[in-house]
Amino acid sequence: MTLPITGSCLCGAVKYTLSAKPIITRLCWCRVCQYFAAGNATVNVCFPNDAINISGELRDYRSVADSGNIMHRRFCPVCGTHMFSEAEARPHLIFVRAGTLDDASVAQPAANIWVSSAPGWACMNASLPQFERMPPPPGK
Amino acid sequence: MSISGGCLCGAVRYEISGEPITMRVCWCKDCQRLAAGNGSANLLFRRDAVKITGNPATFSKPADSGNIIDRKFCAACGTQLFGETAARPDFIVVRAGTLDDSSIFKPVANIWTSSAPAWACMNDSIPRHERQAPPPTSK
Repeated sequence: MTLPITGSCLCGAVKYTLSAKPIITRLCWCRVCQYFAAGNATVNVCFPNDAINISGELRDYRSVADSGNIMHRRFCPVCGTHMFSEAEARPHLIFVRAGTLDDASVAQPAANIWVSSAPGWACMNASLPQFERMPPPPGK
Repeated sequence: MSISGGCLCGAVRYEISGEPITMRVCWCKDCQRLAAGNGSANLLFRRDAVKITGNPATFSKPADSGNIIDRKFCAACGTQLFGETAARPDFIVVRAGTLDDSSIFKPVANIWTSSAPAWACMNDSIPRHERQAPPPTSK
């Protein structure tokens, strides 16, 4: 994997560079994520928050997640691409939506999480761990 | 059959009076950007069967098919709701994540699989189309 890792929204108004490798990638099937992933699971690539440099205007949608965490989900107001998710409880981490990566191979899913709310048609790689709800924190 | 849905924050809502014409998961690169890295889960309806309340924002861009797609999303929460194209004005795509009852979505195919990521998970029991699928048969 070559650094920096780069990405953008669909229209290109928001761009980012990352100076660190991903900590972990997971697919999240919580019901809120299904809104942000057009019905599918979100694919989230976790990075240290101090490794990202973002340019362009983002809009923040704040809500309380199934986990109870206060979440800030930021998207491009021009094209509506959801790009980042951050939990107030874990300010040192940023979750990048994998669709925004210029090189999709940076995302290598390691688990499916919140599978208890996945739709009946959900397709999950059987070789990956599944967590009914919240997984253990990354890096543990 | 009456189908309802809306964005996450509720600013945009819809009611649908007909059944879906087809349901597919799309792996084109634009869909992956809008669907947080995954394939988008799409239901196709007749446009005149869908009544929308609220004012979604629109982002227009040519798709891999060559058609200019108007992608409609909620400006408040960023939920992608609809896709429309002037090339096929009688139809509208609804993103499955916005359904009040998500069990309505039952995909019959994966499309644009040639651009799917290596890790993409697809149900082996439904057809895969490397690019565009054949037009749905009307009901």
